[in-house]
Amino acid sequence: MRLPASLMLTFIITVMGFTSSFAQAQRDVVRNIFFDTLRTGDVRVTTVGVDDMKYIGNQYINQDDSTYMNSVTAVVRRDVDFYADFELVLVDSFYLEVYEIIDLDPLGWMRLGADYLVKLEAEFPGRNLRVRWRLFDTARRQQFAKGTVEMDKVHWRQLGHEIANEIVHTMTGEDGIFLTKIVYARKIGSAKELFIADYDGANERQLTNNGSINISPTFSRDGKSVFYTSYTGGDPHLYRINIESGQAVLVADYPGIVAAPAVSPDGNKIACVLTRDGNSEIYLLEPNGKIIKRLTRHRAIDTAPTWSPDGQLIAFSSDRTGRPQVYIMDILGLNLRRITWEGSYNDSPIWSQRGDRLTFVSRSRSRRFDLASIDTSGTDYRVLTEVGMNENPHFSPDGKHIIFSSDRLGPRDIFTMDISGRNQRRLTRHGRCSNPTWGPLP
Amino acid sequence: MKRFGLLAVIGLLAIALTISVSCGKKKEIAPETPPVDTMPVIIKDTTPTPPPPPPPKPTLKESRFQTINFDFDKFNLRSDARSSLDFNYNLLRDFPDVIVKIEGHCDERGTVEYNLSLGEKRAKAAQDYLVGLGVTANRISIISYGKERPIDTGHTEDAWAKNRRCEFRIVSQ
Repeated sequence: MRLPASLMLTFIITVMGFTSSFAQAQRDVVRNIFFDTLRTGDVRVTTVGVDDMKYIGNQYINQDDSTYMNSVTAVVRRDVDFYADFELVLVDSFYLEVYEIIDLDPLGWMRLGADYLVKLEAEFPGRNLRVRWRLFDTARRQQFAKGTVEMDKVHWRQLGHEIANEIVHTMTGEDGIFLTKIVYARKIGSAKELFIADYDGANERQLTNNGSINISPTFSRDGKSVFYTSYTGGDPHLYRINIESGQAVLVADYPGIVAAPAVSPDGNKIACVLTRDGNSEIYLLEPNGKIIKRLTRHRAIDTAPTWSPDGQLIAFSSDRTGRPQVYIMDILGLNLRRITWEGSYNDSPIWSQRGDRLTFVSRSRSRRFDLASIDTSGTDYRVLTEVGMNENPHFSPDGKHIIFSSDRLGPRDIFTMDISGRNQRRLTRHGRCSNPTWGPLP
Repeated sequence: MKRFGLLAVIGLLAIALTISVSCGKKKEIAPETPPVDTMPVIIKDTTPTPPPPPPPKPTLKESRFQTINFDFDKFNLRSDARSSLDFNYNLLRDFPDVIVKIEGHCDERGTVEYNLSLGEKRAKAAQDYLVGLGVTANRISIISYGKERPIDTGHTEDAWAKNRRCEFRIVSQ
């Protein structure tokens, strides 16, 4: 009896070992493709199919429960399709009809073009929905990972996002962004209020309600509050609002403007613009608003600071040569160098998480305002958008997506795209939306 | 007794006379002390009591100030902007108690943050010009609305030109 048991154990360990090294290999491939794509301009993504969710319990399920199953599947599909490394494979019904296929197996999915397949199985214990996901390599027809997520049915959206997060984590080793939040400004009458929503635009909720103009939101590092500029007290000054309680406090009200806040990677400093000297200068503030240091000294407009991921450098825009261009300096305000030379108007830089690139608003010969990307050495300038006036770029916490506002479809709305410019999506449909920012991982 | 009565009558008359004379003097002085344009200040201070019938006082309508316009991404004052500011200067000179706020605005092109700074530069250029002409600096404050308050929400050159402006708001008078 002992021998088979130990044999069994060895077998399990072997299988597990194989599974993990296999998963690791998949991971390395997937992880590196994306950033290489940006460099080469070559689009290579991993294709993933998500099968319809199956009920595996032994009771009758009602209409509501099957709606939950379909809704969760839709969320998972949307997330997978959104993710920069993945492309969702759609079920080709013609193919199924021709071959009289009722249930697609991994081989079938491979024929549809899927490298990987996600299978979802549902149970309904009590008020909950429990979903087991299985991940298959279609070429090998082999399951290489699985997991279970269980939540109250009312949180079906969150449940779908959690499954997608686990799939992304399994395949890339990185944290999924599907449970992150976004904040943006929306015009209501003459007021401009801040709103918070899920990363995909769902579950929108009004954050500020002061009837004033509120702009330039940016999350604190812990994701629990948002810094922003507001005209609540008359002049545009810096405020901070707690997301949970909705309580807003004044952070800094120096004479003139206090604007364009950017929180340092360690969360201990805020780079922002003050005009107390009679002109826009970049300052470092403590999170409570106390001045640490003035960084720029120039009678031109210096604005829109952004931090390098190591917290040592700040990129910003300045019109010291006549038109706004992007510059980099260190956090002592020294070692200034100009980065952008192409285009007549380069502004609102954001620093990529890998530290190697800046994305910014660029007005090129087309006279549009596009989003463009450049290496921090000042080389490899690329335009990422091709239509409308595009503004306010911000990175997703994984550094692979950019959120921005655009009037390309008429009214100004919030959009996202991959950092390569692919996969452009519209998140809001109200119009009059601007100033988006992306929160950290929960 | 008669004498005493006569004295009393003369005394009363004298008192009545002094009272009437002093009253007459008061009436003459009264209109001189409060100059017409400080009247609002007095009214302000005595808000709880019902104000006396308001004397005719010249007030300045905000709409009499001329709005000035700018070129794209510029804050320098064009010649038409200068003549508008000269006109506004005359208003400020004629109404020395008027305190104004200059609002700087931009068109929708360019970013929120940059335009916020640009709008302030425009307002400051107008403020500096007026102070240069002799207006006391503390009578003019400035604020920038960047591109947040367009007067024309169109997306044409025409709309943009209208939105690149400085407006005058009366804070008090």
